[in-house]
Amino acid sequence: MTSSSEHATSPEKNAPAASVNHVELTVNGVSYPLHLGTDRNLSSVLRGEVGLTGTKEGCDDCECGACMVLLDGQPVNSCSYLAVQAAGRAITTVEGLAGDDLHPLQRNILAAGGVQCGFCTPGMLMSAEALLERTPLPSDEEIRIGLSGNLCRCTGYARIIEAVRATSVELDGVRRSSVTE
Amino acid sequence: MTVLSSDLPPFRRADGPDKVTGSGRYTADLSVTGMAYAKLCFAKVAHGRIRRLDVTAARELAGVFAVITADDVPDLLYSPVIPDRRLFARDVVRFEGEVLAAVAAVDAETAERAVSLIDVEIEPLPVVNDLEAALKEDSPLVHEDWESYEATGDTPRDRNVATFSSITKGDAASAMDTADVVVSSRYVADGSHAVPIEPRSVLAQWEGDAVTIWTSSQVPFEARAGVCETLQLPTNRVRVIVPHLGGGFGGKCGFHFEAHVAALAKAAKRPAKLVFSREEEFLAPDRRRESMIVELTTGVTNDGEIVARQGRVLIDNGAYVADAAFFPQLAAMHVGGPYRIPAIELEASLVYTNHQPSGSVRAPTAPQACWAVESHTDELADAVGLDPVEFRRRNIVHTGDEGFAGQVYGEIGLDECLERAAASLAASVAEVPLGSHEATGVAVSWWPSFGVPAGANVKMQEDGSVQIITGAQECGTGAVMTLADIAADELGVEPSDIRIVYQDTAVAPTGPGATGSQTLLNHGRAVEAASRQIADQLRELAAAELEAAAGDIVLADGQAGVAGSPGASLAIADLAASAAQADLLLGSASAPVPEYPTVSAVCVGDQGMAAWLAPQFSCHAVRVAVDPDTGVSRVLEVHAAHDSGTILNPIGAHGQVEGGIVMGIGQALTEGTQLGEGLQRNAGLLEYKLQTIADVPTISTQFVEIDTPNAGPRGSKGLAEAPNVATAAAIANAIRGVIGSSVRTLPMTAERVWSTIEEARV
Repeated sequence: MTSSSEHATSPEKNAPAASVNHVELTVNGVSYPLHLGTDRNLSSVLRGEVGLTGTKEGCDDCECGACMVLLDGQPVNSCSYLAVQAAGRAITTVEGLAGDDLHPLQRNILAAGGVQCGFCTPGMLMSAEALLERTPLPSDEEIRIGLSGNLCRCTGYARIIEAVRATSVELDGVRRSSVTE
Repeated sequence: MTVLSSDLPPFRRADGPDKVTGSGRYTADLSVTGMAYAKLCFAKVAHGRIRRLDVTAARELAGVFAVITADDVPDLLYSPVIPDRRLFARDVVRFEGEVLAAVAAVDAETAERAVSLIDVEIEPLPVVNDLEAALKEDSPLVHEDWESYEATGDTPRDRNVATFSSITKGDAASAMDTADVVVSSRYVADGSHAVPIEPRSVLAQWEGDAVTIWTSSQVPFEARAGVCETLQLPTNRVRVIVPHLGGGFGGKCGFHFEAHVAALAKAAKRPAKLVFSREEEFLAPDRRRESMIVELTTGVTNDGEIVARQGRVLIDNGAYVADAAFFPQLAAMHVGGPYRIPAIELEASLVYTNHQPSGSVRAPTAPQACWAVESHTDELADAVGLDPVEFRRRNIVHTGDEGFAGQVYGEIGLDECLERAAASLAASVAEVPLGSHEATGVAVSWWPSFGVPAGANVKMQEDGSVQIITGAQECGTGAVMTLADIAADELGVEPSDIRIVYQDTAVAPTGPGATGSQTLLNHGRAVEAASRQIADQLRELAAAELEAAAGDIVLADGQAGVAGSPGASLAIADLAASAAQADLLLGSASAPVPEYPTVSAVCVGDQGMAAWLAPQFSCHAVRVAVDPDTGVSRVLEVHAAHDSGTILNPIGAHGQVEGGIVMGIGQALTEGTQLGEGLQRNAGLLEYKLQTIADVPTISTQFVEIDTPNAGPRGSKGLAEAPNVATAAAIANAIRGVIGSSVRTLPMTAERVWSTIEEARV
């Protein structure tokens, strides 16, 4: 069992085909030279040609946030973003969050009990990462606004808020100690 | 305040790292070489006769491997209790999501184009979409040939009434005459949806005469049984595997599209994968929360004692019965409620319509019925001038009481749930007084536990590590992950020493899966029993080595020690190593089903839902603000108290309650299916609004832990569904407190609240 290559072959169609471009996408620091139709959305390319299925598709309509990725640090719903527009920009998916150890957001959302089915989790983590990049110590209200584009049906959200809050405090402590040193 | 995880003991969920790193595979993430893309062709009309279904052009499209219809699968009716449907429509379509055909093609776009080339002509038939009208003699029938269906059980059926149940105890009419005050109410709840964030997916691959199906199912064994029944295959040729499951909430219970994809893969001569769109996830599964009409008349004394109740419930079954046959009796239990009512007469009917079929969505029938009966209860309290909490205090069931259906309860904690939730809310109101358009509301509820057969295999390997093989299905709750804690406790090892193999019907013993809050209750008992067999073996081995009695051996912290002799102990891993050279450490158990209680009420159309094993109780108390100019309600606080027996996994338990409450808020305020001529008009997340992180209130949860006998392992009961039951009811009572009259339709949208305010002004 491998990850899918959803659109690796392009059949003859009666419908007008979108033009195919050579595109280089940089995902989690790795370059992928690809031939893509101009109509392809980013999530399908990430899940297909790039082979990273951590980015989920829940609605294909920018309503659930499961497909959230970062483009140069900005959160976007990759289901509704053209892949060719992402060329030349740094794309970060959930697979790019962890280094050798889990990212503090990943560790804290598990510790807090903010993961149940896990389907919304990748998108939630990417929104949270973007939030903490622009607002290192967010208020609860700012956390709620920052994650309001990500639907979760399992948890009731409280533990997700807690995980983001805990991470912001933890990362702030790291910054402070590095300044002190 | 919300109880945060830092206050709770840690819980390690073995599937956690997979889920946070993106490495975990859900069904739609899988593919196999040569895989075709599947797409279903739906009826798109609520009721009609198929005049033409021509798939020639679709089959001829380049890139299409197969197109199948009813002609390509065994012609038989299936479904539990009332077999009334086929995999693919034949002659008549009865709801918009009915499947006409399935296409397998080289990619998703080609499959979609092929579906658009299927030539369909459907002659419209009258749409049955009104529950009251469907009962009339002159109503069109959803199933013209309903009498020919080979239903099991003794449930009365009649024309559009798919099943009927009544619960009668005493003489309600005469008792009603003795009441000082009689209140009658009518409530109407719209249907709603489970809305797991993962749209379902099915991937089927044949190898010879056997098929492996990866599917987003909560109930792999039931899915397997459905495939075997509809495609006429022996059980051992169908293997169902569930990768990570992206939520279910009942919407992924039952048997859905596994057979369609398996038949399609066979016809295409290659693996096939179906991935639903969000719209399809709304329209096609035969699991949605049923709409309901509830009429209640209750007599009370001036002292606030309920003396009699009469009630009628109509439940929208939709086009096919799926698993809803038992809903009438369950709904009747919920409109009776956890109250002592000496004389009662309840009738409930499951009514065929041309809507999407109803099915078990998280606590089926209960949130709507609880919303109705608990709104009614506040009207009763008002009528006799009692505070809502005091009125409930005088009428709810306590330990040793007889419920209205005649079941006598052992030790239960409903009274304590009521007191604790009410006190928690009262303390908050004392600290921050109610604002000018704020009010509080309270509701009590109950929910049964379901005891059914389940098996488990457990083995301790030569290094002392442990493998659990279970048919349980992890849908997100963490209940399957908790099985490791039970085994660890029995075996004296760490949960991290235990791996769980689950969700594969080829290797695991049968069990119910993630349905009916049953994972710990049933699969947990099996894991406990199988682990005990190994623990007994370990004790025998250690006893021989340590020259002690087996009964004195204590397994803890990876050591087998002797009670009262601190010095004498052996590493369990060493015992496991020596056992690997002799009698292997294997446990295999099917835990006996707990004994069900009996009831004294007369139950017509008994579906086994009146006698409740290990009933769970809860009380939700809320603070709500209503904007009188717009009708917009905002839930500010929810104070919950639950009796679900012993709590085995505190973080998981809090997560269930918090998630259930937030789903309940959605059902209360925004989540309702809007229908026009039988067609859904809000089958998308923009139109069907879930609660977001910005909407959710402060939630406080308390557990009234009672070590409950004849229930789940360690005195536990179920917990996944109960938290979803009382929230909407409590919110309704708070809204009533603000605006002065009841909103009698669910969801209580801003428009409906505003209209209720305006009607009261006239």
